[in-house]
Amino acid sequence: MTMKKKYALYPGCLMPTEQYAYEVSIRETLPILGIDLVDVEGFSCCGEPMKSVNQFLTLYLSTRNLAIAEKHHLDLFVPCAMCHLALSECHHVLEKNPAMKERINSQLAAEDLQYTGKSQIVHTVDLLHDQIGIEKLKEHVKKPLTGLKIAAHYGCHLIRPSEIGRPDDSENPQKIESILKAIGAEPVNYPQKLDCCGAPLLANLPESALTKTGQKLQAIQEQGIQALVDVCPWCHKMFDSRQTKAGETVATKLDVPVLYLTQLLGMAFGLSAEKLGLELNLSPVEKLQQEATG
Amino acid sequence: MSIIDLTSMGEPQSDQRKELNDRLAKLQDEISDYCFQCARCTSGCEAHKLLELEPHKIVALLKRGLLNELLNSDVIWTCMSCMKCRERCPQRVAPVDILFALKNMAVASGKQIPGKYTGMLQSILSIGLIQDIQQTTTRGNKTVKRDELGLPPLSKPVDVAKFQAGIMKIAMEKV
Repeated sequence: MTMKKKYALYPGCLMPTEQYAYEVSIRETLPILGIDLVDVEGFSCCGEPMKSVNQFLTLYLSTRNLAIAEKHHLDLFVPCAMCHLALSECHHVLEKNPAMKERINSQLAAEDLQYTGKSQIVHTVDLLHDQIGIEKLKEHVKKPLTGLKIAAHYGCHLIRPSEIGRPDDSENPQKIESILKAIGAEPVNYPQKLDCCGAPLLANLPESALTKTGQKLQAIQEQGIQALVDVCPWCHKMFDSRQTKAGETVATKLDVPVLYLTQLLGMAFGLSAEKLGLELNLSPVEKLQQEATG
Repeated sequence: MSIIDLTSMGEPQSDQRKELNDRLAKLQDEISDYCFQCARCTSGCEAHKLLELEPHKIVALLKRGLLNELLNSDVIWTCMSCMKCRERCPQRVAPVDILFALKNMAVASGKQIPGKYTGMLQSILSIGLIQDIQQTTTRGNKTVKRDELGLPPLSKPVDVAKFQAGIMKIAMEKV
């Protein structure tokens, strides 16, 4: 008998307002693996999107969210790489700066909140790889994705800066690859693996953002890779939701199936396309579904 | 509360500028001893090829005191915050952090905020999130919203007035 591990699901902004496929597949797959996700009221933006405008606002918003989780005595599961960075960096900064912690806490008191720094912060990748573990993932595989050549995209914010502690290595991350192997797929090493998705430029240079996306997807397509898997709603918004537009920037018809890792995992667990929100992906994921079943 | 208060984190703005100036001066002092212009940051910069950002030059310009030129330049807004420069700098200079400080200072000194940042900020202020629930389209061209997918209600600040007041208090404090 394994213990159920409880986490507050910190949804952030992008996943719960448009990147529904991630949330749907998270809520389907993680409970199978003994993870109990708790919905908590009152969270706000993590603050990271405002870092260019005012870093102090970022810190304040992150602290507030961490304090809400603490109030419920819960660790946090943070599926967005950008939110995960903001909350982790906040924890790191406040550990080193007790005066800042005091100052923010004095303001948070008005909302009856207090930050001490006791909640653990996990992301999809370390939750699956380190907390749940590869062996347990293997136990649940019903339809191994045998022979499927899949590229992993980690996302810059997930793996840097290593100084504050990130879920995987900054230069040679391998945890998604290990997970892919566990579900029978064949992870592909490709030179563009660490290239940025472009999303951080969406706010002020959207054309350039899409060009970054297009360049990476084009390289993946040219290498005959069958799918790209990602673990961040921002990266996915670029690679999947905006793939057609990204193709226009590099004058290429892009045709790369892009899935959230939790969707791919669910496929290997034998869950239906509907349960995994596969109809929400705008990239041609049906190609992969055919290959996986055929 | 106005967006100006939030972007500048409060009045009076001259105090704010001084604080940020001090912070930048500190960065300037620290980096002047460490950066030896190896340009490893630029060689791995995600925004280099596409947008001609050269982090080592940003560091060099700051070192030479060309602060106003940097604050007025569009190039500080091309950083993708991939943090490869911070990760790879042999001298731990972290150009990405210098760029964040420069952008913050440009905003605090009243320069126009580019793109959608102001809109996102307004949204955070009114509902706590950068955007509200969107209607999306499936591959089969059906439109869906989160409740139709069986997802629970959105988590967002319950008492918005208190949430706003918290931000406001922070805004009025000195950074």
